[in-house]
Amino acid sequence: MAAPMELSCWGGDWGLPSLHPESLTVMAYAKFSGAPLTVNTINNLWRAPKGDLPVLVSQDIVISQPAKILNFLRRQKYNADYDLSAKQGADTLAYIALLEEKLLPALLHTFWIEAENYCSVTKPWFASRIAFPLSLYLPGKMSREALNRILLTKGGPPLYTLTEVEAQIYRDAKECLNLLSKRLGTSQFFFGDTPTTLDAFVFGFLAPIYKVCFPRVQLQEHLKQLPNLCRFCDDILTCYFRLTVSGHSPAGQDTADANLQKLTQLVNKESNLIEKMDDNLRKSPQHPPRKLTTLKLAAGGEESSPMSRLSP
Amino acid sequence: AEPWPENAALYQQLKEEQILLSDNASSLAVQAFLQMCNLPIRVICRANAEYMSPSGKVPFIHVGNQVVSELGPIVQFVKAKGHSLSDGLDEVQKAEMKAYMELVNNMLLTAELYLQWCDDVTVEEITYPRYGSPYPWPLNRILSYQKQWEVRRKMKAIGWAGKTLEQVLEDVDQCCHALSQRLGTQPYFFNKQPTELDALVFGHLFTILTTQLITDELSEKVKNYSNLTAFCRRIEQQYFEGHEKD
Repeated sequence: MAAPMELSCWGGDWGLPSLHPESLTVMAYAKFSGAPLTVNTINNLWRAPKGDLPVLVSQDIVISQPAKILNFLRRQKYNADYDLSAKQGADTLAYIALLEEKLLPALLHTFWIEAENYCSVTKPWFASRIAFPLSLYLPGKMSREALNRILLTKGGPPLYTLTEVEAQIYRDAKECLNLLSKRLGTSQFFFGDTPTTLDAFVFGFLAPIYKVCFPRVQLQEHLKQLPNLCRFCDDILTCYFRLTVSGHSPAGQDTADANLQKLTQLVNKESNLIEKMDDNLRKSPQHPPRKLTTLKLAAGGEESSPMSRLSP
Repeated sequence: AEPWPENAALYQQLKEEQILLSDNASSLAVQAFLQMCNLPIRVICRANAEYMSPSGKVPFIHVGNQVVSELGPIVQFVKAKGHSLSDGLDEVQKAEMKAYMELVNNMLLTAELYLQWCDDVTVEEITYPRYGSPYPWPLNRILSYQKQWEVRRKMKAIGWAGKTLEQVLEDVDQCCHALSQRLGTQPYFFNKQPTELDALVFGHLFTILTTQLITDELSEKVKNYSNLTAFCRRIEQQYFEGHEKD
């Protein structure tokens, strides 16, 4: 209990203390149970004891998986489940299994397998926090592991192609979100007024979906239609991660500005592209000037199709 | 409700020589569910049941001209025919039921698979002889190795490959503890009426209790919880007596 405990995990962005669901779960649990944890966000993976984050180091003990870390914290008397009845403890296990089976595949898919998301957000973000040359290898490895996991657990017959598997896992994830929303109802946390292990796990899985800005966001849109889950995430962020959030707010503001700049650049690029395509069409030899009346109609038809092709 | 045909059949592997612990558990769960819905079904044992199944998993049922495999899709199929056990539950209870079914699949089923395909002693003495028994050498060995490789890949992907047998038994214990707490002193998980969760739990626990393995550690873990053993006995007496149990 007196031994200092250090947690190494992935850092955060977009208002979150961490982007990685498991790291977030452990951090949330530590806040709920009042465990004094010094959090080291990884900037250089060479220093991590094993490659697998999050990792808790206390004196000489190294523990690596979230369930084991939580067990260790409980043994050190930092127990957030103290007031739970035995039945509620059983419910916790069941809901955690539900999250892992139904929500985690879609979460992994959104982060690591959806091509646009992976290439524009996940890979650059993780690569920027890992030392070269591991940054060339590790994001790819994590992506392959995620794909492997999804295919092996969900990809058996009668689902034969990746698109069918994707459709199924997103359906499952949306159903899981609906179930969680019904279970939460109007109460502040899942078991009354104090947060417990289940709240830590749900927060760890939901917060990245809720906050991270991806190009392809069907899961986020579904989540935003469930206001009690959004309120749950926001509550935990403001109440328990208040210091971290305010500490990061200048950086948060900067990232917001940077995002805005990127967006304006993207919009400018798109409008440049549209202008170029219009120019090309006008100069194209397929529309000789003598067919003026039909040219107007055709041009009207032609202009609408590049617009529809450019919209996402 | 659509009429249930007389010749509905459930296919599984050969009961005496071939079927393994996890498949037996799944098959018993489906049989229990159909009994609870009062839908008669014949059990047919075929050596190639796994290959006949549309999803590669046993058991599967052949009803009319449709073939459906695994408990989840079978429950939905039966619901579409107008029979359901969980209609009386409210939304929160349905969410709980789904969560507990995932818990059983996630922990109990995975532990059974681990025990029979990743524990070397069990693999050598029980699984290899049983799994390929209807086939001649060397096909029986090849099929067993292939299946073992598949299961080991899956275990590695979900992070169970690094677990020792003790840790797996710990997980089974935790799962049984949770189930026991949830059941409490009620006759079924959602009080008076059985649901698909009861069928699933019965299938797994009864199989664990009655299957002879190398050691009794797995069944000992379940026997520690008297309300679970009473639950199994109650369902066995109510739904399976009067039928041939071999």
